[in-house]
Amino acid sequence: MTPIVELKAATKDFRGNPAFLDVDFQLLPGEIHALLGENGAGKSTLTKVIAGVYPLSSGKLFINGREERLGTPAEGLAKGIAMVYQENSLVPSMTVAQNIYLGKEKPLNRLRGIYISAQQFLQSLNFHVDPSAVVGSLGAAQKQMVEIARAVHHKAKVIIFDEPTATLTPEEKSYFFKLIKKLKEEGVSIIFISHALEEALLVADRITILRDGRLVASDKASAFDRQKIIQAMVGRTRTDEIYSGASRTRAPRPRGPKVLSVENLSMGNMVRNTSFSLYAGQVTGIFGLVGSGRTETLKVVSGVLKRDFFHGGEVKIDGQPKRYLVPAPAVRDGVVYVTEERKAEGFFETMSIAENIYMGHLGGQPYGGLSIISMRQARSLAEDWRKRLNIRAIDPNAKVIELSGGNQQKVVIAKALVQKPKLVIFDEPTRGVDVGAIAEIHAFINQLADQGIAIAVISSYLPEILTLSDRILIARQGKIVEEMDRRNATEESIMYAAVH
Amino acid sequence: MTPSATTKTRHRIGLTQELIVFVVAVLLFLYFSVALNGFLSPENILNLIRNVAMLGMLSLGMAVVVIGRGVDLSLVAVMAVSLTLSIVLANQGYAFSTALALGLAFAVAVAVVMGFLIAYVEIPAIFATLAVSAIVYGLGRGVIASLDVNNIPDNLHWFLFLGRGAVLGIPMPIWLFAICSAALYLFLRKTGLGRFIYGIGDNISTARITGIPVRPIIILQYVISSAMAFLAGCATAASVASMNMRMVNSTLIYDVLLVVILGGIGLTGGRGGVRNILVGTILIGLLLNGMTILNISYTVQNLLKSTVLLLALVIDALLNPRDEQTSQQGDI
Ligand SMILES: Nc1ncnc2c1ncn2[C@@H]1O[C@H](COP(=O)(O)OP(=O)(O)OP(=O)(O)O)[C@@H](O)[C@H]1O
Ligand SMILES: [Mg+2]
Repeated sequence: MTPIVELKAATKDFRGNPAFLDVDFQLLPGEIHALLGENGAGKSTLTKVIAGVYPLSSGKLFINGREERLGTPAEGLAKGIAMVYQENSLVPSMTVAQNIYLGKEKPLNRLRGIYISAQQFLQSLNFHVDPSAVVGSLGAAQKQMVEIARAVHHKAKVIIFDEPTATLTPEEKSYFFKLIKKLKEEGVSIIFISHALEEALLVADRITILRDGRLVASDKASAFDRQKIIQAMVGRTRTDEIYSGASRTRAPRPRGPKVLSVENLSMGNMVRNTSFSLYAGQVTGIFGLVGSGRTETLKVVSGVLKRDFFHGGEVKIDGQPKRYLVPAPAVRDGVVYVTEERKAEGFFETMSIAENIYMGHLGGQPYGGLSIISMRQARSLAEDWRKRLNIRAIDPNAKVIELSGGNQQKVVIAKALVQKPKLVIFDEPTRGVDVGAIAEIHAFINQLADQGIAIAVISSYLPEILTLSDRILIARQGKIVEEMDRRNATEESIMYAAVH
Repeated sequence: MTPSATTKTRHRIGLTQELIVFVVAVLLFLYFSVALNGFLSPENILNLIRNVAMLGMLSLGMAVVVIGRGVDLSLVAVMAVSLTLSIVLANQGYAFSTALALGLAFAVAVAVVMGFLIAYVEIPAIFATLAVSAIVYGLGRGVIASLDVNNIPDNLHWFLFLGRGAVLGIPMPIWLFAICSAALYLFLRKTGLGRFIYGIGDNISTARITGIPVRPIIILQYVISSAMAFLAGCATAASVASMNMRMVNSTLIYDVLLVVILGGIGLTGGRGGVRNILVGTILIGLLLNGMTILNISYTVQNLLKSTVLLLALVIDALLNPRDEQTSQQGDI
């Protein structure tokens, strides 16, 4: 069988630093191919080359056996290759339907017409998204569904998904996997990048693993197991302990003083009369399905979302009633929100790692604007956080937008933690982060809690909730409906509470 | 193109664009010196310097706002009317320094109102500043003064010195421009507020979440640009001993935009700095002066300028797409 896409001795470098090097890669017709590797291994760059975003620095790209030089994603699309990017690329001010039909509009579009056909199309994919909703108002998971729908709608022969499942709930994930299996039956070839190794083992026909830009293994999925994959990814045998939630056996930390209490808080129809508390020295996991209002609730608490005046409820920080209209006073009171949408509101893309972290530092000072910049302080802060979170970049002066997804996430975390908060709200803190780095970030969050900081972790990933939390809150339809002790919580009991 | 790809090209071209503009300016100067009769004459050089200084100061003000992802179309109106106010007050018997202080206060007040409309009422900067510009001009012609041209009272030698004097052989307007450039350079590069303006221009949502007081800083941007407009007005009024409000209806504001964009400060915000304004000012200043000496008619000059502006805007849009999201439309 001739491969539908093939790379031979392919290299792509940025300013002399290779993102991947001397890679031979084959994608066969009608297969699901998982591409795995640590953060910064070169997965996104490799697939972007296939999609036409970057030309190769050296080596050859074959499509259907013919050598091609793609210069733009549009050329890739013309050859039947579509890509769903790691960071979303939807137009926030347009509706879901308009985004799906973007670039395929007829000269005269009947708006009602496209809503109806978009509705049917979304339903056929089993995605519950309102086609007339403005994309900017959707949560991350729903945006992801729109992205996927858009790629499928282009009827491409090859579809590349860069971490498509990172934002999906288990239920949505299973729909997604059914969807790609269906696409496969229709003869579409699929590359998907993921940090969830079980997923890869479950759905992929073949698996390719990159390490530091080199291809280290490529074989049938049945030739791998979790251990083998990790070994290939990190190139050394690590104890499986950090990967397998060993901390679940640790006794939950006791409650410290109450840092946050929320009483009867309401906002729009996303937050409905909800009440809960968070305590110092503890990690509180917050679980809920998409639309359960977890993100919105905590965004209101931290001033990121403004409550309108006629919606009531009380937020107390350390016993003091607070009503933050903007995040600045919350940050100064030590309440920081680490966003789930890093590209939209997480980092400054034209700035380097050091500048981003320094902006966090200045933003956290009472009169940070009036201070004089010290590049030396910026560099030493950056060095400190680079070590603590193991942020990796091939070039230390690279702009944050040039980092790999997982490393961008670490910069967002560093930029928030440099503000020395007493309450940190992590919204999907390990999205797009590799297995090893997840363990590092978890260990780091645990350290923070041990230092007496109050921590909330919003996550759609149950194992993450179970390993991290001392205490679990479950949100449903805009309200915290249940509190569980970690010791007697199971994936099933949490899921049950979240659904019923 | 993806964001990462554009950032990279943008970075490289940003540097070379500055260099290209500078080289073109030097070549133009050499060419004019040789080819144009009277270009190097003392009067013309003085004229050139006066215009360059005013253009440069206005552009510095515009730069601060554009870096924060806004635009200030009221600069020329604020400049003309605030100085006219000072002159009118002085002619009514106020001490000239008091009159100047009141003129500056007027400029700042306008900026605060404008900044408030943009930051809190969330009116797009382009409309807010355009509307305010019209209102300010209306006030100037209707309420503050009945004539377009108002003359500075006699015997204000210290003030006229700002426009006509020289220190160490260098004309005062150039000193003013240099001092403003240095001050803004330090402000943008070395202070937290300066960095915050870059942050807001880069990504306003990130800036907000990071705890930066976004809205007060937006107001501050317009206060700075209005204050620069006032200073530019001082330099101009001092050199011709009067202020002419008809300037508001000229194409000066486009020249300012031309300097900012050609100098390499993308309209996307978060990029560029004082250096870009320096090279942009020199190039545009030379070009305008040369065209006048060549006796190119005003209409043709405008045609040429607007064409260059349009080209610069197109190039800017290609290099710095206003919105990554929209620039990716072709991706999928
Ligand atoms: N536009 C760019 N300019 C400079 N360097 C880049 C650019 N894009 C990627 N890189 C670098 O190339 C390397 C590989 O990045 P890539 O995004 O392919 O990693 P990845 O495997 O997708 O990682 P992750 O799992 O974190 O998303 C990284 O070190 C990154 O910093
Ligand atoms: Mg990636």
